[in-house]
Amino acid sequence: MKSITFKPDNITIQVKKGQTILEAARKAGIAIESPCNGSGVCGKCRINREQIDNIDALLIKKSVFSENNDDDSYILACNACINEDVIVELTNNKESDLKILSKGKIFAFEKKTLVKKEYYEKEDITKIYYNEKEIAFEKGNTKNENYGIVIDIGTTTMVASLVDLNTGKELTSESVLNPQAIHAQDVLSRITMAHEQKGMELLYTEVVKEFNNLIDMIAKNKGVDPNGIYEIILSGNTCMIHLATNKNPTSLGEYPYEPAIQGGSYEAAKLHGLHLAKEAVLYLPPIISSYVGPDITSGVLATQIYKRKDNSLLVDIGTNGEMVISKNGDLSATSTAAGPAFEGMNIEFGMRAAKGAIEMFEIEDDDTITVKTIENAPPVGICGSGLMDIVGELVSHKVITKSGKFANPKRNELPDFLSERLEKKNGKTVFKLSEDVYLTQKDVRQVQLAKGAVRAGIEFLLKSQELTADKLDEVMIAGSFGYHLRTKSLINIGLLPKEFEDKVDFVGNTSKTGGQAFLMNKKYRNEMEELVKTINIVELSNYDNFEEVFVKCLNF
Amino acid sequence: MSKTKEELLEELSDAVVDMDEELAASTAKEYIDEGYDAYDGISEGLVDGMNKAGELFEEEEYFIPELLLCSDAMNSGIEVLSPHIERSRSKDEKIVVIGVVQGDTHDIGKNLVALMLEVAGYKIVDLGKDVPPQAFVDKAKELNADIIALSTLMTTTMPRMKEVIDILKKENIRENFKVIVGGGPISQKFADEIGADGYSVNATASVRLAQRIVS
Repeated sequence: MKSITFKPDNITIQVKKGQTILEAARKAGIAIESPCNGSGVCGKCRINREQIDNIDALLIKKSVFSENNDDDSYILACNACINEDVIVELTNNKESDLKILSKGKIFAFEKKTLVKKEYYEKEDITKIYYNEKEIAFEKGNTKNENYGIVIDIGTTTMVASLVDLNTGKELTSESVLNPQAIHAQDVLSRITMAHEQKGMELLYTEVVKEFNNLIDMIAKNKGVDPNGIYEIILSGNTCMIHLATNKNPTSLGEYPYEPAIQGGSYEAAKLHGLHLAKEAVLYLPPIISSYVGPDITSGVLATQIYKRKDNSLLVDIGTNGEMVISKNGDLSATSTAAGPAFEGMNIEFGMRAAKGAIEMFEIEDDDTITVKTIENAPPVGICGSGLMDIVGELVSHKVITKSGKFANPKRNELPDFLSERLEKKNGKTVFKLSEDVYLTQKDVRQVQLAKGAVRAGIEFLLKSQELTADKLDEVMIAGSFGYHLRTKSLINIGLLPKEFEDKVDFVGNTSKTGGQAFLMNKKYRNEMEELVKTINIVELSNYDNFEEVFVKCLNF
Repeated sequence: MSKTKEELLEELSDAVVDMDEELAASTAKEYIDEGYDAYDGISEGLVDGMNKAGELFEEEEYFIPELLLCSDAMNSGIEVLSPHIERSRSKDEKIVVIGVVQGDTHDIGKNLVALMLEVAGYKIVDLGKDVPPQAFVDKAKELNADIIALSTLMTTTMPRMKEVIDILKKENIRENFKVIVGGGPISQKFADEIGADGYSVNATASVRLAQRIVS
């Protein structure tokens, strides 16, 4: 056995000789980003050699990433095997400063909660009713302590919202990273992991543990006794809902991609050991399809898109672009595999929305360039919104051509302040964003693939309702990520058709706000359970011309 | 003044690189009218252009749309030339059985690989998408194929690739075929782990891979 110490946490553990630093870190419960799950592809687990006390203690294996990168000042945690005792200094593994948005559009919902409390003066007790049935009583008058909670489980982040069931008001909300992301970045890797009993158990217990942390945290913040929380709504994508309720998601990962549960269902919260009232009930909003989950059902509810008498579109841009179109309240839904580019993955300098990430980029009329980073820190990488801004601006200023290729300053006419930023790195053209951060040609290709997928999804949805882009009245972009985006960039990169200009509305985290409406009135649950059955599911892979449309959507 | 064979071959190649479908067809017609050999027109003209397009793709000059437009141009030229081919294709033509593994329906990557391998002179038998492991093996046996090429975009269906190899081993015919793998989540490491004969990162690299392992 060899020992490895992780600083600054000063955690030392014993591992078998030959284990990788990443494996050791996971064993030690230390987060090292590993989106590709240690396959040596993404390079996100890189550690500077200077941060290792004795580099000779490690056997550094070759990886796809190292073969394509000349920079050898780094090693990859997933390809560094521990041969001798070693001390590793980790930095930037704290993501507490992540920017996660929890606001969202909501309608004026009617309040008619399932949980009701009634005080009986004679006996000095408060009876608790659920759906008109008495389920418990408490001593004294606890009528005012009547709470519910909504948790939106994203693949990357989770948001919990504490709601006063008497008033319908949100008392507070908190967000954290989804702890499963450390083990497997995306939905498919998690399904793969859950295929094995051990993996399933790990994913389930970790997410429940984090639910309890969240519940404890927000209850403490507001001085609320968690025993006064009687109902919980779990919103989120279909896979996350499976994992959170201990249902195996394997069937989602293979054609015909069927979910194991349909949602629209109730469970006892204590089944999962949640820190709530012991009688608390858990409600899962109905699933639309395997890749259009309860988060979108919540979005449909929050935006009231199904009640509209016009043509509107709701799009959640993430690793999967999930979308619903409404033509006079007639709904079609689809999802499209955008890949992780918009979350900063597969991008040379891609990162999450944390300190130092370029989040805004603009080429001004006076030939200057404005680059804004999170917390105005020196730029260290590019997050999703920054990436779309950068590519969008470069396309509209012809630094990137229609086909996605960087312009050739010798052949294409470019103003000097732009052409001088086109440099050669490792023999390939890059666009320099700062001293250390640049955009590569491959990054642009990744953006093309991602936006092409979303755009193709939009095209097929429009077609499913026999609509064209100009016929839409409103386009709502949902998701916490969507909030940081700018319409201009979405249109510049062609993720949205230009006809959508002036029609785009960023509606925020409607998975959470829709969840609140579910919490506050049973009527909406019934309504949505019926509605999802009528939604037309557009399965893109069943269309022969999907490839043709997708390829067309790749160009800018 | 009529053009030499070499001039026309170069024009055929250029028409493909320039994604010009009409020019490829009209040049092919001119080439035939001059009485030059149709087979050479394809292999040294049109396919040469497609190979150049593949190089540009690898250099990140071209992307998927350009590659497909080049292939359209190539095909419009082939349409003109192929009725005039007298020689049959060589007998030692290598056969590739290709498909997207069971459980996955994403086939754009596979289609590009099939396209580039075909251009490189391989006979392609495309089993499509969501193909059961046994079907790859059965088809490869039936045709006495040289290569089995497996593709997937999804992490969840990666184990199906190993199943194909396991079946080959079980039937004691592992050595009869080369198995190559590719797709978004696939890496060289994974290929090594499951005992595949090769991995390629993209469609054009798959041609070099194929040439290396079945030369």
